[in-house]
Amino acid sequence: MKKLILISALSLSVTALAIYSSSCTSQREIAAQKSGAELWGQNCIRCHNIPSPAAYSDVEWETIGLHMKERANMTKEQIDKVVMFLQTVN
Amino acid sequence: MKKSFILLIALFILGNIIHAQDSKSSRTQFMVRGYGHAGLDYFKTPDGTDASYVGAAFAPIFLFKQGNRFMFESELEFVLEENKLEINLEYANLMFVINKYLMIRAGKFLLPFGTFMERLHPAWINRLSSKPLGFGHDGIAPASGIGLELRGSAPIGGSTINYSIYSTNGPKLKDGSEEPEEAGMLNFENYIDNNINKFIGGRVGYLPLNNSSMEFGLSYFTGKVGDKGSIYEDVRASLWAVDFSYVKQISPIQGVIDIKAQYNQTGVSEAYYPEDEEHRDSTDFYTFNNLSRAYYAQLSYRPSMAGNMFLKNLEIVGRYSELNTPEGSDWESNINELSFGLNYWITWRQVVKINYGIVNSEGGHDAEEGAGKQKSNTLFVHWAIGF
Ligand code: HEC
Repeated sequence: MKKLILISALSLSVTALAIYSSSCTSQREIAAQKSGAELWGQNCIRCHNIPSPAAYSDVEWETIGLHMKERANMTKEQIDKVVMFLQTVN
Repeated sequence: MKKSFILLIALFILGNIIHAQDSKSSRTQFMVRGYGHAGLDYFKTPDGTDASYVGAAFAPIFLFKQGNRFMFESELEFVLEENKLEINLEYANLMFVINKYLMIRAGKFLLPFGTFMERLHPAWINRLSSKPLGFGHDGIAPASGIGLELRGSAPIGGSTINYSIYSTNGPKLKDGSEEPEEAGMLNFENYIDNNINKFIGGRVGYLPLNNSSMEFGLSYFTGKVGDKGSIYEDVRASLWAVDFSYVKQISPIQGVIDIKAQYNQTGVSEAYYPEDEEHRDSTDFYTFNNLSRAYYAQLSYRPSMAGNMFLKNLEIVGRYSELNTPEGSDWESNINELSFGLNYWITWRQVVKINYGIVNSEGGHDAEEGAGKQKSNTLFVHWAIGF
């Protein structure tokens, strides 16, 4: 019972946060302004060395993109930009 | 049996490579990635010295992506343990992108309890050749679990928050019936549920800076650990962890600074374990305050902006880590370790690591009784690759 309350409370706060962040357009714009190259430079270095765009093909970057979206907890918008950047310069 | 299994995998991979070559892009994509390492380990302990070639570890990762929202990820680990090939399933899980802010995962996955096991343990990512104290064999923190997870992230202004909430079968209490000297320890490598109770856990990470260079994380994991129907049925474990990461290229020092740290604590509620006659006398049952703690802090620097090619790929790293297990238990120990390393990065995923470590230990269930304080030195030379 206690756990159920805890799970519901956590899920509720997660949802609330998600709604809150999506409603603040001006704040979303700050994040949205970042280019794929910038997001790559800032995020893909947090756990391991920054991967070289040339390391993989366009199709491979798509698969890795979804894998890293999960590992790095990035939003779809962010990872799509990074993948697009990597596919352009690889 | 094992041979045919490996052959099957090889055929599967080959088939897919050939398939991938003749189809430019499709909704389904299959990829094999992974890592391996090899090296030389040297130990100097009060009992003597030892040196041996180690490794030949091979960890293939299979990624299967269908459409833009579905993926199956799996990692196998092949290692030689005392002349025998051991195969472990590190993880195997399905995942689906529900919406912008949420993903679901089901199966066996690495747990976001702290960050070391989920993000930093692969040989080509870990800046040192060893894990910090408290992880791995006889560790006090979980690495993976079988269950269900919701995870995601959301930008809040210039900062970012990420979150994960999960439920797994959870670890199992060692009640001393098999190994009396381990009574009260948790077996994290147990993936079968020994009771109806499920573990629940979660992690919240916060990246306060607009450039995502810094992250703080807080994790919690709790559930019952005793066998159903036994006197340990209601024994509960509660674990929590805090982690920190800071990675930034800083121009005045011409390179990248990388700081990683994690503190974790494992508590098990009061339980009485049968006396082991070999080790104890008098009363039949004993108990102790079952609280273990471990932490590490690591700093590395790589002069990535240096003009010289050789210098650019060099990295220096230092790590301090400590592990304290419960006083009064048969596995009571206080261990600390200080490690230094010099790494040379051949590519972004290939590295040669030379590490020197000093370990001070007292107790531990492998130690001779009354052995007192011991000092050991280690020297590891490892070559690791991610592919
Ligand atoms: C939160 C930590 C983290 C971040 C941030 C991160 N990675 Fe990774 N990455 C990992 C881990 C861990 C692995 C190893 C996967 C494994 O062993 O299961 C990995 C593996 C990889 C691989 C090898 C192929 C694969 O999918 O396993 C590539 C390529 C990669 N990452 C690229 C990236 C890119 C590009 C980014 C930026 C969008 C990124 N990573 C950000 C943790 C991270």
